[in-house]
Amino acid sequence: MSAHALIVEPFETLAFMRAALVACLALALTNGAVGTLLVLRRMSLDGDVLGHAVMPGAAIGFLYAGPSPTWLSLGGLASGFAVAALAGLITGERTRRDAGLVAFYLVALSLGVVLVAWRGSNVDVMRVLFGTVLAIDQRALLQIATASSVIVLVIAVLYRPLAVSGFDPAFLRAAGTRAPYGAAFLAMVVLALVANFQAFGTLLAVGPMLLPAAAARCWGLGVAASMALATGFGLAASIAGLLVSYHRNLPSGPAIVLVAGLLFGISFLATSSWRRMAPIIGREA
Amino acid sequence: MLRRYAEADGRIRLRDVTVRYGRRIALEAVSGEFASGSLTAVVGANGAGKSTLLAAIAGVKRLAAGAVDRPARQRLAYLPQLAAIDREYPLTVSELITLGAWHEFGAFRSPGAALRTRAAAVAETVGLAGRLGQPIGEISVGELQRALFARLILQNAAVILLDEPFAAVDMQTISVLLDQVTRWHREGRTVIAVLHDLDLVRAHFPSTLVLARRCVAWGATAVALPAMAA
Repeated sequence: MSAHALIVEPFETLAFMRAALVACLALALTNGAVGTLLVLRRMSLDGDVLGHAVMPGAAIGFLYAGPSPTWLSLGGLASGFAVAALAGLITGERTRRDAGLVAFYLVALSLGVVLVAWRGSNVDVMRVLFGTVLAIDQRALLQIATASSVIVLVIAVLYRPLAVSGFDPAFLRAAGTRAPYGAAFLAMVVLALVANFQAFGTLLAVGPMLLPAAAARCWGLGVAASMALATGFGLAASIAGLLVSYHRNLPSGPAIVLVAGLLFGISFLATSSWRRMAPIIGREA
Repeated sequence: MLRRYAEADGRIRLRDVTVRYGRRIALEAVSGEFASGSLTAVVGANGAGKSTLLAAIAGVKRLAAGAVDRPARQRLAYLPQLAAIDREYPLTVSELITLGAWHEFGAFRSPGAALRTRAAAVAETVGLAGRLGQPIGEISVGELQRALFARLILQNAAVILLDEPFAAVDMQTISVLLDQVTRWHREGRTVIAVLHDLDLVRAHFPSTLVLARRCVAWGATAVALPAMAA
């Protein structure tokens, strides 16, 4: 098989592959920035839970209007924001908070599945769980692109305070800053998760966000460089995942997440073995 | 470079300051005043509410009751315990120090070249001149504390809160940091430090606040500190 047939042809001939590619690229651009900040702020678990928090709202949207991307998103946004606001109120001990978040995640997921299964078919359930990256229509594409643009702009404007508050949260507040940067960031996380939910479903939505960022983080770069590398990993995982799923007839969302996971594995092994090797071959790590 | 602070600038008055963690009361009805330009050690057993008091004054921890009265435009700098700093964060020593001038460049502008020169000068004061380009994950605990002190210097604040500034650092670092604390005191800034080493308190801190969730004693060190043993 020629390189052209392997890489270009699927996108050249099939409109749904092109739509999927554009959606994944738009998502990769925001996921690099949002995911890197999530990883740096040690909020991976919070991201995962918020990913499931989208579910009951999306299910209610589904009950109201069927499988319409607009209503799924609006419902998901509403429940995502509600849960993010509630999570802000839970300021208990760390372990109790973790247990609470996990309990919440299971309940939200089950409730969402029950609601969708009540009125819909198994196909609908699969759709909300794993997404439909190959069935993205123009309206969904527009929504994803809009959400991605808004998130990238907001993060670009708030980049400095977000980066600083992740490192030393007390610093800005002691210096007299009262702006709710943390809340603004959580809002961006929810918006990004809802955009990812369209393509990857509630179970995988956080994958394309966290895995490329975690992979980039292994390389020990600065905040901005980590974001750029995470975006690059995300783009690569999207293209490779879509092609693998096309040629091998595999589900696309999981294929993309698997490639991102592979990039994380390679980054982790490469950097940790380099750190172990460096003193032996006389270089500084 | 550093101007002397006017008398009224660094005053802090506590009125029945009460802080809770869930149902547990960490600090109960603490009242009193840190005079402008005073140098006070806060001492007490573990769990006595020392760090909580500093966080409450800094506005980082919300009060359950009472109030902290400070002049509206008073600038305050806060050094949290080292454990609160994420050392794996991708930041260089130079970037960390430069953050001290946040009030000059703010959230939306980048620090200029002049500021970076000043950051380098301040790094030299605390003995970190050769470390500027290194990531904070690769320097020692003592060096990190020096870098955080350099950031405090750039913050140029009327009130400086230090939470266990000498914990886990070597003698040489302690003497460099202590010199800086003395310099701040001479410049007329209000300095409040949580400390465990009582000999050090006796030798260098004119005022002491003894806490055991409530205020046990507060005043001249020679008078207040004996309450610590009782």
